[in-house]
Amino acid sequence: MTIRHHPTDESLMRLAAGSLPAGPAMVVATHLAGCPQCRERVAEFEALGGILLEESAPVPMAPDAFAAALRAIDAEETRAAAGKTARPAAKPRAGRAPATLPGGIPLPEPLRDCEIGPWRWIGIGVRASAVKMPDDPEARLTLLRVGPGRKLPEHGHFGTEFTQILVGSFTDEFGRYMPGDLTEMNHDIEHQPIVDPDGECICLAALEGGMRMTGPFGRLIQPFVRL
Amino acid sequence: MTHVMQEGGPPDGAQLARMIVRIAVERDRQAFAALYSHFAPRVTAFLRKSGLPPNMAEEIAQDVMLTVWRKAEQFDPARAGASTWIFTIARNLRIDHLRRVRVATSAEQVEPEEIETAPSGEALMLASERESTVRAALAALSDEQAMVLRLSFFGDKPHSEIARELGLPLGTVKSRVRLALGRLRALLEGET
Ligand SMILES: [Zn+2]
Repeated sequence: MTIRHHPTDESLMRLAAGSLPAGPAMVVATHLAGCPQCRERVAEFEALGGILLEESAPVPMAPDAFAAALRAIDAEETRAAAGKTARPAAKPRAGRAPATLPGGIPLPEPLRDCEIGPWRWIGIGVRASAVKMPDDPEARLTLLRVGPGRKLPEHGHFGTEFTQILVGSFTDEFGRYMPGDLTEMNHDIEHQPIVDPDGECICLAALEGGMRMTGPFGRLIQPFVRL
Repeated sequence: MTHVMQEGGPPDGAQLARMIVRIAVERDRQAFAALYSHFAPRVTAFLRKSGLPPNMAEEIAQDVMLTVWRKAEQFDPARAGASTWIFTIARNLRIDHLRRVRVATSAEQVEPEEIETAPSGEALMLASERESTVRAALAALSDEQAMVLRLSFFGDKPHSEIARELGLPLGTVKSRVRLALGRLRALLEGET
């Protein structure tokens, strides 16, 4: 699989810095799972984070901070010596995601703990499923399933939409997007992606910034994206 | 008694990495003390720069150092240097903190999930090589581009915050961030 469309360096930097919101971060993480080149770029930005940490002018801690850290360590080791685990075992997550996408395609690894909502009809040839991230239930993340020759739902000209192609392909004025590709559609660029005629397209999408959907698709999809 | 700090000057990357390894292998509290005195004040400063209030920055820095103690055996010097590893711990705890604030009403405590960003296998450059490449690239940027890069690394709303700090229109800032990252990319690729 040759990946031709990657996240911008800015998005990779923000992922490494921890400032990309949860929804877009998950879309980019799904891309990274299949893209060694972008994983290396994120590693470079993490190294940049290490350098910026190293060059930060030290701020004195409270006078008893180190003593408090040692007390915390002592308390943990006492508990460990007494044979008690420091933390309760992790509870199994409720609402396991189904293992596959329509057509038996396995769910990308980063989505394994997410709760995948039911597919809902939101327009002719377009279905959507709300994806809930266990650590950030408010994050808006959507799986879209769009039929051959159909347009992807429009959103208003506001914010940046991150879309990772999982199955099938679509084309817009900037090129053709295949499985493994990620596109960042910015509000200041006019675009209208259309699914290629040879099959349906399934993609994972998240919007950064305020959401203002336009048109009949927009009004229909809005409640799902907000879920 | 182990000698953890060289006379004068802060410990270098190799010394810091050895301290973490000593914590992992020997539960060496003296190594932890040296690591703490180097990193806790820097992590606090770093978290403040990223927008956390001072008391919260110190509380999370404390948590970062305890995590270093607990997870020292997970540190792999071939994957990341000491500063980079500790940076990623600070970043993840900051994310957890911000999420916890947002979902504070939900009763159930969820396990923190780390988004998998670690490099594996194929494209793995040796960590020290990667770090010196990034350091050299950062040093080769113009002062203005290095500043734009630092500001955009720390900001949660990078463009608008940089626009305010530099007193520039938003559109100008967007193109400067793009240019600075493009220059960094060119330098990184020229170096390898
Ligand atoms: Zn990529």
